[in-house]
Amino acid sequence: MSDNGFAIRLRGVTKRFGKHTAVDGFDFEVPRGVICGLLGPNGSGKTTSIRMIMGILHPDEGTVELFGEDPDKTRREKVGYLPEERGVYKKMKCIELVTFLAEIRGVRRSEGRRRGGEWLERLGLSEWADKKVEDLSKGMQQKIQFVGTVIHEPELLILDEPFSGLDPINQDVLEEIVRDFHAKGTTILFSTHLMDQAERLCERVCLISRSRKVLDANLRDLKAAERKGLVAVEFHGPDQWLAGPEVDHVEHVNGEVHLVLREGADHQAILRRGVESGAEILRFDLVEPRLHEIFVRHAGADAVGDAGLPQGANLGEV
Amino acid sequence: MMWRDVWAVIRREYLQRVRSKWFIAATIGAPLFMVGLIVVPAFFVNQGERNAREIAIVDGTDVLYERVAPRLEESGWEVREQRWHADVVTELRETVEAGELGGFVMLDELTLESGEAMFYTIDRPSTIRQVTMRSSIARSALEYQLDQRGVDAASMLEGGELRIELLTEDGTDTDDPAFLVAYMGAFLLYMAILLYAVAVLRATLEEKTNRIVEVIISAMKPWHLMLGKILGVGAVSMTQLAIWVLVGTLLFAGGIPMLIAARPELANLSEVRDLLPGLGLVALFIGYFVFGFFIYAGLYAALGAMCSSDEEAQQAQFPVMMLLIVPIVIVTSVIENPGSAMAVTMSLIPFFSPILMWGRVAGGGVPIWQIGLSFVLMALTVLAVAWVAGRIYKVGILMSGKRPTLPELMRWIREA
Repeated sequence: MSDNGFAIRLRGVTKRFGKHTAVDGFDFEVPRGVICGLLGPNGSGKTTSIRMIMGILHPDEGTVELFGEDPDKTRREKVGYLPEERGVYKKMKCIELVTFLAEIRGVRRSEGRRRGGEWLERLGLSEWADKKVEDLSKGMQQKIQFVGTVIHEPELLILDEPFSGLDPINQDVLEEIVRDFHAKGTTILFSTHLMDQAERLCERVCLISRSRKVLDANLRDLKAAERKGLVAVEFHGPDQWLAGPEVDHVEHVNGEVHLVLREGADHQAILRRGVESGAEILRFDLVEPRLHEIFVRHAGADAVGDAGLPQGANLGEV
Repeated sequence: MMWRDVWAVIRREYLQRVRSKWFIAATIGAPLFMVGLIVVPAFFVNQGERNAREIAIVDGTDVLYERVAPRLEESGWEVREQRWHADVVTELRETVEAGELGGFVMLDELTLESGEAMFYTIDRPSTIRQVTMRSSIARSALEYQLDQRGVDAASMLEGGELRIELLTEDGTDTDDPAFLVAYMGAFLLYMAILLYAVAVLRATLEEKTNRIVEVIISAMKPWHLMLGKILGVGAVSMTQLAIWVLVGTLLFAGGIPMLIAARPELANLSEVRDLLPGLGLVALFIGYFVFGFFIYAGLYAALGAMCSSDEEAQQAQFPVMMLLIVPIVIVTSVIENPGSAMAVTMSLIPFFSPILMWGRVAGGGVPIWQIGLSFVLMALTVLAVAWVAGRIYKVGILMSGKRPTLPELMRWIREA
């Protein structure tokens, strides 16, 4: 068996619906044990890619591997899948719904029921176990869906927009569970158009736009590579030291002073000059580029028409 | 692995439905409703005549009373004999008018010859009472006459025995009890097949519209899901039918005699029993239901997978509905002329067989090979429908938005 260390591996995957190409020549890998974010605006091909990974759709070209093999039923049973458009059997009792979802992934009924009980307790839903799903609030229903996703203790979690529609408290609960699974060695792939979320959780990101992959890298490496030389400073006293050969220009953003450095500039030189000038320096911060900015820069360059995407725009509306 | 998934779907579908209030209400309510339909009118009719049930019989022949009296008593009359004398009519008339007697019957030589008799009473008796009295008297007269000629009157009056040897496939008259059984059965088949097939449609549509289907399809083959749903709903239908058949049998086999024993005036209820089909016919009914259900459940599952809303499904189900409506429209003429070329041809078309072939068989006179052939053809159709529906289901179940056109549907079937 060719377990190659990748939980997911896509090679040259293309999927067309009629004349529309939803995913175009997608190469993508998720090593085992990693939290990976699949980022991109709505309609960029995230959900189609995920459906191909889950074997719900079949690629027109290219290959999909789960744990180094075809995504057949045995492999897929090791995956916990939370689709973007979530559904429940409204008339079922909560505990029966999660037991059923465990059963169709190969967990015995009695075992599924036991685990279901534990999960409901963990999420504070014990007293709802025998209530019909339709009696629950929307937030509680989402928790039940999440339980249904993880109840068979999957090796890989695929979560399509898992945080959408959740209130901040439940988002935190869910994030914590995701971190827990990661700590236990579960591979996690989640798609989102919320860059903040991805930035907090991911070790690896893959950016797609207009059906094509734009970026696929380790987040920390990416940020290091994308660091474009921006220093945020805060200080009392004289400000002449800010000007110098290293500094291209000075910006004032939200009451902060941002120094945009020239390429290859030595920021230490500026700091030294500041100290010598007698200014009291409260903060001298090499700003990491936000994922959002990186995305806009790449997607904008790649996808015609996106170049003028305003800073801070919700990518979901692109 | 396949059966584990299918079984899980069946189990969920079955329990979910059997536990629903609707199921319990329908399963218990329907037989109660039927019983009510039969018993309540009979009860009211008889209630009114209770006081008038004691009658006197004046026997001018001296041989009829001993034969007539037990028959009338069996039908709920209270009978006493009144000897004939010149003023008997005037005397009895006064008693009746005083309300002490329900009426009186005069039997004479004419009764012996032609079965004619006079019944003097104040209130016109119900048709059923008239019939029971008339036939009691006529049978008694007949029995006497036959006995006189040394004929086994008892056997004759039991109804004799008729051995049937069919030379041609003869028609069934609409007055015949067999017609009623055939027609009612056909209509029940139509209702039951439609009811449960539409349940499959709704179940599919529900999964599709609330999107849980995506999770389930990620864990099992669409075909297994469809199979599980059809078998699950099918199991529910069998449960319901079994309960109905059981309750029906108990009611008619045990309930009615008990009711009659307690309330002799309800005796005419026993005639209802003559309308009940035999065990063989019940088995055939179930056979046609099962095959009809599988054919239409497959079609309706595909339909559900193609649509994205109830309204859309409402429109889209029209062509499939037609397949069920055509036989129910022509079933009357098919039962009346079961041997006609039209009846034979139509009843062998698998989509129509459940209703039409049943109608012909229950009406009487269908060669056994045609019944066999209809089942073979239906079995093949079940497989064909399952194959086509499975492919439509596989593509359609994840689609949302516009319903596919016919060419698109063909492509789904080819490419799935």
